[in-house]
Amino acid sequence: MAASIGAVGCRALHSRRHGKLLSIGRGLFSGARCLVAEGETHFGFQNVSETEKGEKVYHVFESVAKKYDIMNDSMSLGVHRLWKDILLHQMNPYPGTQLLDVAGGTGDIAFRFINYVRSQWEYQIKQKLKSHQNLSWQEISKSYQEEELKLPGGSQVVVCDINKEMLKVGKQKAQHLGYSEGLSWVVGNAEELPFNDNKFDVYTIAFGIRNVTHIDQALQEAYRVLKPGGRFLCLEFSQVNNPLISRLYDLYSFQVIPVLGEIIAGDWKSYQYLVESIRRFPAQEEFKAMVEDAGFLKVEYRNLTSGIVAIHSGFKL
Amino acid sequence: MLSGELPKLANRKCAAAAANRPFPGAAPRHSSDGQEGQEQPKAWDPALLEFLVCPLSKKPLRYEASTNELINKELGIAYPIIDGIPNMIPQAARMIDRKAQDEEPKQT
Repeated sequence: MAASIGAVGCRALHSRRHGKLLSIGRGLFSGARCLVAEGETHFGFQNVSETEKGEKVYHVFESVAKKYDIMNDSMSLGVHRLWKDILLHQMNPYPGTQLLDVAGGTGDIAFRFINYVRSQWEYQIKQKLKSHQNLSWQEISKSYQEEELKLPGGSQVVVCDINKEMLKVGKQKAQHLGYSEGLSWVVGNAEELPFNDNKFDVYTIAFGIRNVTHIDQALQEAYRVLKPGGRFLCLEFSQVNNPLISRLYDLYSFQVIPVLGEIIAGDWKSYQYLVESIRRFPAQEEFKAMVEDAGFLKVEYRNLTSGIVAIHSGFKL
Repeated sequence: MLSGELPKLANRKCAAAAANRPFPGAAPRHSSDGQEGQEQPKAWDPALLEFLVCPLSKKPLRYEASTNELINKELGIAYPIIDGIPNMIPQAARMIDRKAQDEEPKQT
């Protein structure tokens, strides 16, 4: 048994991403861990080892999973919904798009994607009717079908998250809201995605990348799984450019949010981590450079709410 | 005469309503997979196999129905599927001890 673990460990060492693998592998690869030095990274304002960061982030989201959506609404006063809507509008998916939503936990982006694709399809049909084009039999029958067995055009969304509690909440939400087709849930690590190369049209990560231990690896994985012509979209908290708003934002972040966290979710520390992690995340230009380093082209960013959040977009060309 | 026709209309409406029901519960009668929309949240969607590969070796996986796992024969590991959600984190994977030992003489 030890020999076979050692053999697998050796094989793992030969793979390019062994550093991060060892940082997350526990019982399975514990024998090989001592061979590579662990780096240090940040967890909020603390400095922790890379292994610790992964575990701590896991515990944060495990504990907040059930109250995640309520907390999002209270902390951002519902504005996070607008941010996510804007992300979808920027994505502008057409029916037939394959989306990979990483760190998608409770499914906000996935559900919006499904709604968008469905309404695009209906819009297309209406346009055709208006211009007196003849619809094909397929289109006519689909427009009568209330329950569609598949999403229009064969669109598909895979929600991937490292935390199964968040995915469980997401799956339950999907069942309540009636989303079932074209939607899949997978537990996976953003630094090591369980998908083949050139599979997806769009890769999104909304409010997740700052929690990843090795952001550059997550970006490389994003590049790998996208099809040529695919789009990378990242919605994340960023640096505020206006000094006055920045002061108000800091005040709100550090005085109000952890208190809300304690009252609503009973967890001060997790929300303290949240606001600290926002401050530690690189600013717009620096993150843009990181995205370019992974190989993406035409990388742009767009500030929302004076830079409180930013959407970074890049293409694999 | 009128009273005779009304029950017929009512029956037709009920039948039509049942047929057009946009409820996922209507679908299971046709699917033979055992994948039901609502009653079994633990159902596994085999369509995911097209996308999923082992995160370590990037090789395709085989679904093992008896243990409800995804197996990578080459590395001899199995990823569990919990509540219909496959867990593709390497630390969650289980070593397949006996199979790995049996296949060692065959592998290089």
